[in-house]
Amino acid sequence: MKRNIEGQPGYYPGFSTLAQQPYWDEATRKAVLERVSRSRKLRFFTPEEAPLIEAIFEHILPQGDRSEQYRIPIVPAVDDRLYNNRIDGYRYEGMPPDQEAYRLGMQAIEEIAKQKDGRGFLELTPLEQDKLLKTLHDGKPEGARNIWERMPVHRFWMLLVQDAAEAYYSHPYAWDEIGFGGPAYPRAYMRLEHGEPEPWEVNEQRYAWLAPEDSVSDVSEWIGGHDKHLATPGQGGSH
Amino acid sequence: MTPVLRDWWKKDVLNERNGDGHALGPIQKIDVSMRRFGEEEVDYVIVGVGSAGGVLLQRLSRAGFRVLGLEAGPFWNTERDWVSDEAGSHNLYWEDLRITGGEHPLALGANNSGRGVGGGSVHWAAFTPRLHPSDFRIHSEDGVGIDWPMTYEELKPYYEQLELEMPVAGPAYYPWGDPHGYAYGPHPMGGVGDVLIKGCTRLGIGVSIGGPVAILSGSHGDRPHCIYRGFCIQACKVGAKASTLITHVPDALENGAEIRDNCMVSRIHVNKENRVTGVSYFDAKGKEHFQKARAVIVSGYAIETPRLLLNSACPGYENGLANSSDTVGRYLMAQAGNVVLGRFEELVRMYKAPPAHALTEEFYETDPKRDFARGFAIQTVGPLPIAFAKQMMTAKGAWGWGLRRVMMDYNHWASIALLGEILPWPENRVQLAEEKDRFGLPVAKVTFNLHDNDKKLIEFGKNKVMEVMHAAGAQEVVQESRYAHLVGAARMGSDPRTSVVDKFGRTHDLSNLFVCDGSVLPTQGSANPGLTIQALAARTADYLIAQGESIFTRKDRDMMQPAIRRDLAPPGTYGRGIPRLANAGLAKP
Repeated sequence: MKRNIEGQPGYYPGFSTLAQQPYWDEATRKAVLERVSRSRKLRFFTPEEAPLIEAIFEHILPQGDRSEQYRIPIVPAVDDRLYNNRIDGYRYEGMPPDQEAYRLGMQAIEEIAKQKDGRGFLELTPLEQDKLLKTLHDGKPEGARNIWERMPVHRFWMLLVQDAAEAYYSHPYAWDEIGFGGPAYPRAYMRLEHGEPEPWEVNEQRYAWLAPEDSVSDVSEWIGGHDKHLATPGQGGSH
Repeated sequence: MTPVLRDWWKKDVLNERNGDGHALGPIQKIDVSMRRFGEEEVDYVIVGVGSAGGVLLQRLSRAGFRVLGLEAGPFWNTERDWVSDEAGSHNLYWEDLRITGGEHPLALGANNSGRGVGGGSVHWAAFTPRLHPSDFRIHSEDGVGIDWPMTYEELKPYYEQLELEMPVAGPAYYPWGDPHGYAYGPHPMGGVGDVLIKGCTRLGIGVSIGGPVAILSGSHGDRPHCIYRGFCIQACKVGAKASTLITHVPDALENGAEIRDNCMVSRIHVNKENRVTGVSYFDAKGKEHFQKARAVIVSGYAIETPRLLLNSACPGYENGLANSSDTVGRYLMAQAGNVVLGRFEELVRMYKAPPAHALTEEFYETDPKRDFARGFAIQTVGPLPIAFAKQMMTAKGAWGWGLRRVMMDYNHWASIALLGEILPWPENRVQLAEEKDRFGLPVAKVTFNLHDNDKKLIEFGKNKVMEVMHAAGAQEVVQESRYAHLVGAARMGSDPRTSVVDKFGRTHDLSNLFVCDGSVLPTQGSANPGLTIQALAARTADYLIAQGESIFTRKDRDMMQPAIRRDLAPPGTYGRGIPRLANAGLAKP
């Protein structure tokens, strides 16, 4: 039985999309490799803001089970988007531009953290940090009301999760984790039915995968809570 | 646009033969020199070379007109510019700023707006169902929406024609609407199609499998067959999925059409005789030009088309061009597109096969037993990891470790979607916002609200799709609300007081200004709009060709429908693969 690479989680032991790159077309290979080797230098977030935004994304998309070598950079990807003002083609009425939304959101999170006993977000324990962020998910932030009046909390939340998801799940290490085959031109897929793997894919081997005890995010609850479904309709294109 | 792409493009100028040609696929190339009109007057300027613009450009140039297409995005070299990658495909979508609001704000950008030669047909999933005959008269039949100023029978020959030009793969007998068959064989099933078949079969619902989709099931001329890699909406690098970039634009260039890419049209000009004289546009370097034309066709889709008409306001047309009815921008429609996701014990691997490969229209028509008018289709979709993660965010509220956990089960999930008719409402509209784009032009503001019939339809449809997912054996079923496609906002009609254009796309107010794209649809049915848009474009082209010089000189309008000009189709598409069952006179079961 193949074993998982140390520090690279997933039910597909030994599966590596990057190992398939000889079979990708040149433009795709270039785009994916550029992402893997992207500079981690920040140009939008200031050195003062960097630790806070890093800490926030460590909860939005935690990677505590990944070794340093296999960590997927989230903040540099978001930073690059904001610095180059790459937007998704629209902005919700009543929302500030994405750059301003991030600055306001960070300010709000820091303000909420401090109002209890003066400790900033970075000084909270991981569980306290997770719980604070969950109040944003639930649409019930405990403080910074003046900021949420300028920016609906659920829209800020969705901005965070979407940016994190795009950065994480565009990375080949994440593809290996979830068993996604990745680019397939010009080689093609041929085993289309019944979830069968291609000859170069790996079959699933499940194991008990547990979230750390000092977290509250491993639950399924709608944004805004069950009685108040605040999530905006789907963002991506699927048909 | 990223500067990188533009730099590549400069090395590959279409009118300088470089030996390799301009790649439109692994085999397909353009190696003709493109005609350049320079500043001379052309017969037609077409604003936007997308689904409609590509067909118009091809037909009008083949008929001998001097035609110029102005496209805001790039002229793709598919081998260099396109990737098999979700995050790397943002440049395919209209990602400039728009403001979205209302009670049920629409997601725009990647969700429904294309950019670059081929437009939306580059990133569509390529489902190509026809509208049903009933779609053309929903006001008469159900007392909702409005009737079209034409019948299904008038559009039918163009449906048949475009199905061959793309061409469309699908079953030999398609039972819904006006029953017909497809000339090219259906595709094999993927995991999601199997789920739809299983769920529908257990509930006694008929399913069409392997199409209708504008994706090649076998090689066709210089276009290879589908390789089932699943990146359809990231643009088909294979060249198997039809886009006007590969189906119509090459023939247009052969026939002397010009396309100026990275050119953003800012204004349409009108003279004192109430004739359109040409357009202003910004080129790739941001320099403004005036292009003289004897007639202008706006094909910018349901947001940019009304935006341009409104931004062209001038003395005598203070509310925008062609807007004496105050209808420009109104009656914007999106289809209900709720995605239903089901987790299965066994693996599915839904990233393989085209997202679009099976559907049912069993619930398409009004059913008196339901408490709403009109209906919906159910179709396969196949979100790739990023899209799926965002769906889990909205459908389950997933984040943090919960998002990591559900994503590790990605290969266990299948997703099918509702495609439901939302009716046209005047307050669902495109207006100008205060914000400006990089050219200083006011951006579009989109307002969208659901109404009673829409909400009831969505509720019923969503539950039906979830029922199918359960019947297929899913252990857990969740759904996310969303909307798909955009049409309306410059609708056609016979009455100039309530519509923007006549049934051939000519604006009621200006006799040499036309609109031809999804924005002319008065209602939308539950069919993906791509085929209808291209069929309407071919029909408008036939009208313009039949009218000849009179479009440029006369103000009265001849409303006679011209005969279809099958001889103007791109070579090798007319007269091949005639559907055997289409004319067999089979009755609907």
